[in-house]
Amino acid sequence: MTALAEAPLTVVPPQRKRKIPGWALGMIGVAGAIALLSTTSYLTGVPQLTSTGTIQTAVRLALPILLAGLGGLWAERAGVVNIGLEGMMIMGTWGAAWAGYQWGPWAALIAAAVFGALGGLLHAIATVTFGVNHIVSGVAINLLGAGLTKYLSTLLFFPISHNPRESPAVPKFDTYSAGGLSDWLGSLEADQRVGISDVAGILRGLVTGVSPLTMLAVVFVVGSYLVLWRTRFGLRLRSCGENPTAAESLGVNVYLYKYAAVVMSGALAGVGGAALVLNPGNPGYLEGQTNGRGFIGLAAMIFGNWRPGGLLGGAALFGYADGLQLRSGGKTFLALIYGAVLLLAVLVVWQLVRRRWFAAATGIVAAGLLYGVYYSVDEVPSELTAYAPHLVTLVVLAVASQRLRMPAADGVVYRRG
Amino acid sequence: MSSSTSADLPAAIGDPEGPPAVVLSGITKRFPGVVANSDVHLSVRVGEVHALCGENGAGKSTLMKILYGMQQPDEGTIDVAGERVHFRTPADAIKVGIGMVHQHFMLADNLTVQENVVLGAEALHGIGGKARKRILELAGRTGLSVDPGVLVERLGVADRQRVEILKVLYRGAKVIILDEPTAVLVPQEVDELFATLRGMQEQGFTFLFISHKLDEVRAIADSVTVIRRGTTVGTADPKAVSSRQLAEMMVGSELPSPETRESTVTDREVLRVEGLALVAQEGTRPVLDGIDLVVRSGEVVGIAGVEGNGQTELVETIMGMRRASAGHVVLVDAEGNAKDLVKLGTLARREAGIGYVPEDRHRQGLLLTQPLWANRILGYQTRRPTAKGAWLDIAGAKQDTQRIVEEFDVRTPGIDVAAAALSGGNQQKLVVGRELSGDPVLLIASHPTRGVDVGAQALIWDEIKRARAAGLAVLLISADLDELIGLSDTIKVMLRGRLVADADPNTVTPEDLGSAMTGAGSTSDAVAALDTPVDEEGER
Repeated sequence: MTALAEAPLTVVPPQRKRKIPGWALGMIGVAGAIALLSTTSYLTGVPQLTSTGTIQTAVRLALPILLAGLGGLWAERAGVVNIGLEGMMIMGTWGAAWAGYQWGPWAALIAAAVFGALGGLLHAIATVTFGVNHIVSGVAINLLGAGLTKYLSTLLFFPISHNPRESPAVPKFDTYSAGGLSDWLGSLEADQRVGISDVAGILRGLVTGVSPLTMLAVVFVVGSYLVLWRTRFGLRLRSCGENPTAAESLGVNVYLYKYAAVVMSGALAGVGGAALVLNPGNPGYLEGQTNGRGFIGLAAMIFGNWRPGGLLGGAALFGYADGLQLRSGGKTFLALIYGAVLLLAVLVVWQLVRRRWFAAATGIVAAGLLYGVYYSVDEVPSELTAYAPHLVTLVVLAVASQRLRMPAADGVVYRRG
Repeated sequence: MSSSTSADLPAAIGDPEGPPAVVLSGITKRFPGVVANSDVHLSVRVGEVHALCGENGAGKSTLMKILYGMQQPDEGTIDVAGERVHFRTPADAIKVGIGMVHQHFMLADNLTVQENVVLGAEALHGIGGKARKRILELAGRTGLSVDPGVLVERLGVADRQRVEILKVLYRGAKVIILDEPTAVLVPQEVDELFATLRGMQEQGFTFLFISHKLDEVRAIADSVTVIRRGTTVGTADPKAVSSRQLAEMMVGSELPSPETRESTVTDREVLRVEGLALVAQEGTRPVLDGIDLVVRSGEVVGIAGVEGNGQTELVETIMGMRRASAGHVVLVDAEGNAKDLVKLGTLARREAGIGYVPEDRHRQGLLLTQPLWANRILGYQTRRPTAKGAWLDIAGAKQDTQRIVEEFDVRTPGIDVAAAALSGGNQQKLVVGRELSGDPVLLIASHPTRGVDVGAQALIWDEIKRARAAGLAVLLISADLDELIGLSDTIKVMLRGRLVADADPNTVTPEDLGSAMTGAGSTSDAVAALDTPVDEEGER
């Protein structure tokens, strides 16, 4: 009689059941990306697309973006929009250079984290305690980061490097390779067999000349997932980003968790800055070095739907676009455009199957335009390729942001009581 | 069901023979400018359902917030199980076994049921498998049958409420405050909730049940305390007093009723909706499907339905906030000129003579931070008296706001205060007053008295009745079935985006209507199914 067995009466919104678990989706994505690259590389005859060198560069360039994105993830999961990542990253680069040239790369890393965390603390004080609009505070921190480091480097670096825009050279990490595996993959890659050589090239790029920083970044990604989704600390932190009022009513100290998240966010962004300084391609700190990577990190996080796995994919994409243009210039970048045409073709077929005529038509037009570009130019001008990551960011966000789910209370200033 | 639990009751609140579970004495709470509670006395016995009744704004919520540690009293004491306690945060209240189910659910939609439940109480059973087991154990008591791993956003209202109850149970609460728990439920769900509460009561739980629905209070409560203007009027035995007496204690005067006496329905059609359909953006399932509807001058057409069955979408499609995928919305003005609105925007539809009381006055009806006169302009920014040509007529708006304030008895210190400063009932009176300005031919009222006190409710009902007598056509959507039955001349039942049945408000009971709303089929002659075939999923 208690009627407990009866079905719920209220109409439940349509089920959006996820049949495939996240990790499997990730694997499919990776496989798809490799297939796309190797097809493109085969059809255009540009082996650099999947060469070891490209991948190595891509990894190095993806690191700062990845770390900045992770920083964004922490802050936004706690409901604080951190557009100040760029500024915190700049502080990180300066801190890394300052400690690095004196005491070596590990000190650089720690100092970068501390400097970034200070930026984060400032953001937390402004947004959490004083209820400043998150965007306003973030922009202020970006300006502050740039200004402060300019002043400090004139003050401290200029006497040594004789250049107010540059630090003395910073020693780098030793890198490690998986000896035999790397050689074997190298020989496979040299064979130039379709598919296999591409996979070998990509894998070799991932296991050759690996910096401890890369390993650390992987640990950070996995660690962030575990902490945020598998511990009580993480649950509380995320609840602050979803419904802080509810969290407070359950005894969660929302301010404290927001502080912790934003400080952590700054520290990660700072380490992202260190990754730039400690990149073997750079001598050390350079003014304007971050070049918008904090924002791209934020974009990678949005692309990744506020999840660490997705963020990793986003960072890899942006890092790859960046690495390719840096290493091989306009010609290979053109090949990438060809790849985009292929990708669009697949998407168009998919949309046709789902009877989304308008989307399919848009895809066909876009693919046609891109193919026109590919067909008509021999080489993308270098002025343009330098903006490859930014372009990719723009396109990817415009396309991907349709189905994203941000934390419900993200960017909302929370007042207790 | 009641055997195992007496063991895990905290000894303090567990003993029915012992001291009362909760005693509030002399509680006074002042906010700047208002005294929310003054000298409140309340005593709750162990194992009873104690109802706290009062109009909105009478101070019930503040009192409960004090008991739950969300606010501190300026004067007065709280005793739990005979011991003096001082709560500084809700955590303190939870510690002594007091839990609260808020009227507006405190759930994070994007977290799972389990995450919502364990949040803040991770120390008890962790956040993993052990917690899950405990949740499944407790879920039976609340009647929740979903997997703890699903996201809360997938749950319906009744299940969300069960999750809220589960949350307090998980924390070991023995005294549970339910803040207007039935406001969001249909009658059948209310019955289920009551069955759950009785079952839990047998196991030794104590409930503080806040409500202003007196029939429900009399159905579930063992004793009732009435609160009026911030102070307790008295405690009564609900079996011994009538709803009417209780209500008069609450209001301190005579009671309003939604009942309309004689029909004022005319032959003149004002709104004709033909074959209206709406397809949601994702998916192909129609949200609205072949809606045919006529509202005549002087007629109130009520739409009954469980929330989420397309009422909101119907109203928003008629208002032009959503684009209909098929069908017509024809409005006939006072001179008899018919006009198809389906291609027009919302402003044009309003200008054609539709007034609209939105279902959520905070989200859609008002700008809370703006003064009342600015809110008067909303939706009338192109018309007299709030606009002159291309310019807003501030003076005219202020003058007309003053008129609304007087005619509709909006209790406010002035028309320059922000809308947020008004109580819910007064905000709603302002909205209704605004929407009845400018001589509309049709009023669409979505839940016009949701969450407002009895006084405001009576006034809004009277105004709707008066406008109806003057020839206004009204389309009424309400979850309050008494209101729907009392005000309407015709009732249509909406289920899964279709109008599935007609009900005669003169004979239908809320229960009949409730079962028609859930698709259980008509149980009474008063509800006549329409010949539209119920779709196959109806029998699922």
